[in-house]
This record gives sequence, structure tokens and C-alpha cells, in this order.
Amino acid sequence: MPEETLITDSLHIPDGQVPQLVLVGTDYRRADVQQRERVSFDAEEGEEVLINLLARPEVSEAYLLSTCNRTEVYLVPREGHDAYACARDLIFQPREPALVNEGRLYIKRHREAVEHLLGVACGLESMVLGEPEILGQVKQAGQLAAATGAAGEVLQRLLRGATSSGRRARSQTSISVGAVSFGYAALDLARSIYSSLETRRVLLVGAGEMAHQVARNLRDQGVTDFVFTNRGQERADRFQEAFPQAQRRPFSECQEALEEADLTVVSTAADRPVLSQADVEAAARRRADPLLLVDLSLPRNIDPAAAKVDNVFLYDLDSLDTLIQRNLRRRREEVPQVEEIIHRETDQFFSWLQGLEAEPVIARLQQQAEGLRREVVERARGRFPESTHEDLDRLTRALVRKLLHHPSAGLRRDQTTPSQLELVRELFQLNDGYSPMEEPVENPGGEGDS
Amino acid sequence: MARANATILAVNSLTSAAPVLLPLAYLLLVLTYGLLFFRGEGGASRIARPLLWGTILLHLAYLAAITVRWEQFPGANVPQALSVVALAVSIVYALVEAISGERRTGAWLMLLAFLFQLSSSLATGPQPRPVEVFQHPLFALHIFMALLGYAAFVVAGGYGFLFLELYRELKRGRFRLFFGRLPSLEVLDRLMSGALLVGFVALSSAIAAGLAWGLELDTTRWLSDTSVWVTLGTWVLYATTLILRRLGKWQGRHTAVACLVGLGTIVLSLMAYNFLFPTFHG
Repeated sequence: MPEETLITDSLHIPDGQVPQLVLVGTDYRRADVQQRERVSFDAEEGEEVLINLLARPEVSEAYLLSTCNRTEVYLVPREGHDAYACARDLIFQPREPALVNEGRLYIKRHREAVEHLLGVACGLESMVLGEPEILGQVKQAGQLAAATGAAGEVLQRLLRGATSSGRRARSQTSISVGAVSFGYAALDLARSIYSSLETRRVLLVGAGEMAHQVARNLRDQGVTDFVFTNRGQERADRFQEAFPQAQRRPFSECQEALEEADLTVVSTAADRPVLSQADVEAAARRRADPLLLVDLSLPRNIDPAAAKVDNVFLYDLDSLDTLIQRNLRRRREEVPQVEEIIHRETDQFFSWLQGLEAEPVIARLQQQAEGLRREVVERARGRFPESTHEDLDRLTRALVRKLLHHPSAGLRRDQTTPSQLELVRELFQLNDGYSPMEEPVENPGGEGDS
Repeated sequence: MARANATILAVNSLTSAAPVLLPLAYLLLVLTYGLLFFRGEGGASRIARPLLWGTILLHLAYLAAITVRWEQFPGANVPQALSVVALAVSIVYALVEAISGERRTGAWLMLLAFLFQLSSSLATGPQPRPVEVFQHPLFALHIFMALLGYAAFVVAGGYGFLFLELYRELKRGRFRLFFGRLPSLEVLDRLMSGALLVGFVALSSAIAAGLAWGLELDTTRWLSDTSVWVTLGTWVLYATTLILRRLGKWQGRHTAVACLVGLGTIVLSLMAYNFLFPTFHG
């Protein structure tokens, strides 16, 4: 049996029917954090939902994307069914009816649904424009859907397109360039001053949540030499537990630690500066390299006058925000380019899908031609010596293949319209249960000879 | 005879066409590296390197043609010297790019090379005379080392300018043109001080060769030569900078300012010699 028939069989696509896609979901724009928490699924729950969806007669394929900012289900419904009700009843209604009742769900179909998923993968739909983690989450959810057998031919092709668009958006545009969080902004600044952070010493003054976040970012960037100091014992212990490699210094040694550090991040709850201009001046005088100071406290914990000291770079929350806003502005400027990538990928996906529509017609055409070939060969076989039968078979098969090559390729092109497919069906009588064995052959030997 | 005529024709064609072609090639390099600076690695990155080396080869061929035509090392007058400096800047940058892979400073260095070559092409200094003394090996060494030194100082000045601009943006917390597009201050400082050291060694050698040449000619005319005193002043400036860096008294910013002052002195003196004298030493 030709391969095309197997593919179309597995998709259950009747002649002339392109599979329709449905997206049902909610995100941070529609639902508050409590509502999003209720409709959030971990891997185990996600797998269960996918299996339940597939068990429904309306659903042919399913894909669930659940992150802290969105829960979306993409469905390929079976013919004549509206899969929206499945998504609503299995996912949203049982967990958070308010989403359904208050109209906090969005439903997108076909091209809109495809463009939405590609936009999500590229980071256009994220709370922080262009954030990179979402691409990994889209891929992970795709792996789960493939593993459970929920993502079939159509959704797997769509997910490949989403992943590739996400990658291209990040490599060909600046949609993910530049820090957009305080921790990463501090690291960006450090990278503009020092060639490598791995060999630099970092001092953290304070051991609160902000210090934890900065330390995590630093660790991710390969910084190994960090020192911390904190007035309170309890917080310092907790910090040491979370970052055992960090070197602990008593708060009274803050000045010495400042002189030895290349990057100092201060985030304490003190209501007045813990580092004065004189402290910074003294530290800068004793070192040849620049000194980078980041004050993440409010009120500020480093005397703003310290910014005047030569070879010292001081940033507070406001100046970091200036950098973040600049990066966000640049990311926004990249949106049209990313949209261009999305449009191209969407077009490619629909070309492929259109090809699927033509597959049943092509398969019928090939079946019919093969039937005719066999019939003619059978009738002519007696006139040829037995030793040539195999050659006769090979020759006629090649002839049929060559004759059908261009029409098949033409039908697979995305410009093929439903009326053209209908014309092909009529011309070759593909609709009326045609059986080649019943067709009279006027000149039984003619075609075999040609 | 026919071959000799063909060579003469080729040399003449090259010496006439290159003053037009070279500024255009450098301008194209500025635009290509400018794209890399503003848009990051993209289509421009594929053509930047071949274009750079192609321009360098064309420039080398031009200088070789000048050498053949005037039968002396190209550098006997200011337009030639400016052109040699432009080439040396490009070669120094091409080597930095090849070794470090750093391409974000290319636009600025190529802008300097373009300005030097454009000045060379536009300069209307008198043509050098084939004087016997110019064919002396000490003269060639003196000229070669002086031009190498000047080129290295131009590169140091270029990196110094970039260092100061990035420093200013970082210090003020106003992130505009340079932040995120240039290498770190540490890398710029390393490139700047490296070029400074090379320039200093080359200029010292040029001064020593010039002194030896003067002694051989048994003349004290150089004592009244302004260009000698300007060069010595520049040498003292760079020597002081290197010593203060070594002692840890000066850091990147001071070095960058010194490099820019040195570059300004070099450019202004070259321009002055061009308009006032037929050669460097009058």
C-alpha cells in the first residue's frame, strides 16, 4: 500500500477536508494568579488530562501547555465535532468555573491558533517580552504530548514549526537581548566592565530574598568566588545553607571585603547607607581595577555621592530600571521582525496541511493507475516470453510512476484549490467507486507495447 | 621591452586608480562593520572579513606600485605617510580580529583608516624627489618604525576614544550608543595599552634610527627641526603614561585621555608638515 494512504488513514481526513485546529486557554492577561494556579498542571496531571482528552470521540490530537502565566490546550478535532466543549469540560470547568462563566477563556481557531502558538514560542505573548524560558516549556510540553501519543502528525509538525520559529526569533532578532530583571541587569553592567565574571570576586551585603536571587543569577553565570555579609545571624545562616560555597564575613569586616571585591551588591533593610562615600573612596584607592557597586535597597544603602569617585560605577534601582526600560524598548522594536518569522512559518505549516488535503486524491489516483497497469499487464502477459515478464512489470511500473509524478507534485503545491481537486476527481472518475477491472480495454496489447 | 612597458602601465594605472578606490573600499568597510556594530552578527558578518583582507591586499599593491614608481620606501611625504598609517591601522585591526575574534570595534577602527586614506588621497603635497639619502637603510628603518609607531598610536587613540565613551555611559547610567555594543572596559583597556606599548617601542626605535642617521650624516640640523621636537614630546607623553600605569597611579581613563592627546598631536603635526614642508623634516 502506498505510504500516503497510511498517513491519511492515520489522520482520518476524508477527501477535501483539512484538519481544523482549536485553541482554548487563558493567560496572565485574562486570569489573576490564583485562577492561573488552579488551572496549572504539572507533568503527571498534564499526562492524565491528555489521555482523558484523547478518550473523547471529538478529539483526534491534543497538546497542553501549562506554565505559571498560561494554560492552553490545542486540539485537532475529529470531523464534524466541536472540541472546544471537551477542553472546557475537562480542563477549565472542573478546576476554575469562574474562567468559563466570566468569559476569561480565549478560543482561537485554525490560522489564529497556529499564529498564537508560534507567538508564544517566540516570547511575544510572555509577560516579559522575549523571555527565553518559554521556548523550553513549549518543547517540554510537546515531548509530553508525543510520549502520551496525544500529539499526532498535525500537532507534531506544528510544534516543530513553533520550536524552529522560537529559535530563529532569538538568533535572528534581538527579541531576547538585554537584561530585563534587576539581577540580570546588574550582571549585564558587570559584563560591560569586566571581560569575564568567572574570575571576579562578588560581595553581597545583605542576605534577604534579593540577595538569594542575585546569588542564583551569579551562580548560573559561572561566578564561584562570592563573599557575603549580613548583620542578622538567622538570615546569614539561611543564606549559607542555600549557597554553601559562599564565603561568610562578619559585618564588621565589610570595608575589607569591599576592597577585595570587584562587584558589590547591597540589599539590606537598613534605613541609612551602610557604605559611605569615604568607605568607597578608600576601597577604590587601594585597587587598580574598577569597582562596581549595585544598590538594590530602598531606601538606598550606598551613599549616592560615592558615584563621583573615580573608577567607581554605582547603580541604584532607578538606574537599573533605566537599563531595563531601554532593553524592553529595543525588544519591542524587534516585534515586527519576529511577526514576519511567524507569518512565514504559519504559511509553511498551512502549505504542508494543504498537502495533506490533496493526499487522499493522489492516493486514489495512484491506486487507479496501478490497477489499470496490472490489468493491462495481465492481459498482455501471454504474448511475451516468460523470461520478460519481470522486465514488463518493472517497465510499466516505471512508466506509471513517471506519468503521475508531475500531476502529484502539482496537487501537493499549496496553490491547489478545492475546485482543482474536484476537477481531478471528475476527470479521472475518482468519486464513483471506479474499479479498473470492470473497465473494458479496447486494445489489450497496445499500452503494454508502448 | 613589452613586459617592461606592461609593468609600467600596470604601476601607473594602480597609482592613479588606488587613491580613488581605496577610500571607497574603506568606506564600504566602515558601513559593513557599522552594520555589525548596530545589528550584531548577521549578513554583514560573512562579507566583513573577506572585504577587510581584500582592501588590505589592494592597499599593499598600491604601496608596492608607489615604491616601484618613486624607487623609495613609501613615506617620504605626508600623503604617502598617511596612506601607510591607514594600511597599518587596518593590518593591526585585522590581526586583533583574527586573534581575539572581536569585531565590535571594527567600525571605529575602519573609520580611522578611512579618514587617514581619504586625507592621503585628498592631500596635495609635493611629489617626493628620488633623493639618494632616502634609499639609505637607516632611513628605511627610521621611516618604517615611525609609521608603525604612528599607526599603533592611532589604534590606541581609537580604543581610547571607545573606552572613554563607554566609561562615560556607564558612569552616568545613560545607556545609549556604546553600552551593550562594545567589548568590556577591561578588554578595551587591554587593546589600548597593547597598542600603546607597540607604538612606544616602534617610536623609540624610529628615534634611535633617526639619531643614528643624523650622526652618520654628521649634521645637527635636526636640532632646529620642529617635527623632531614634536615627536620627542609625543614620546615623552607616551613614556610617562606607560610608567604611571606600571606604577598603578593611572588606570584606563587616564591612559585613554593620554592616547587621545597623543593622537591629536600626531594628526595635527602630520597636517601641518603637509601644508608647510615638502617632507617631514623640511
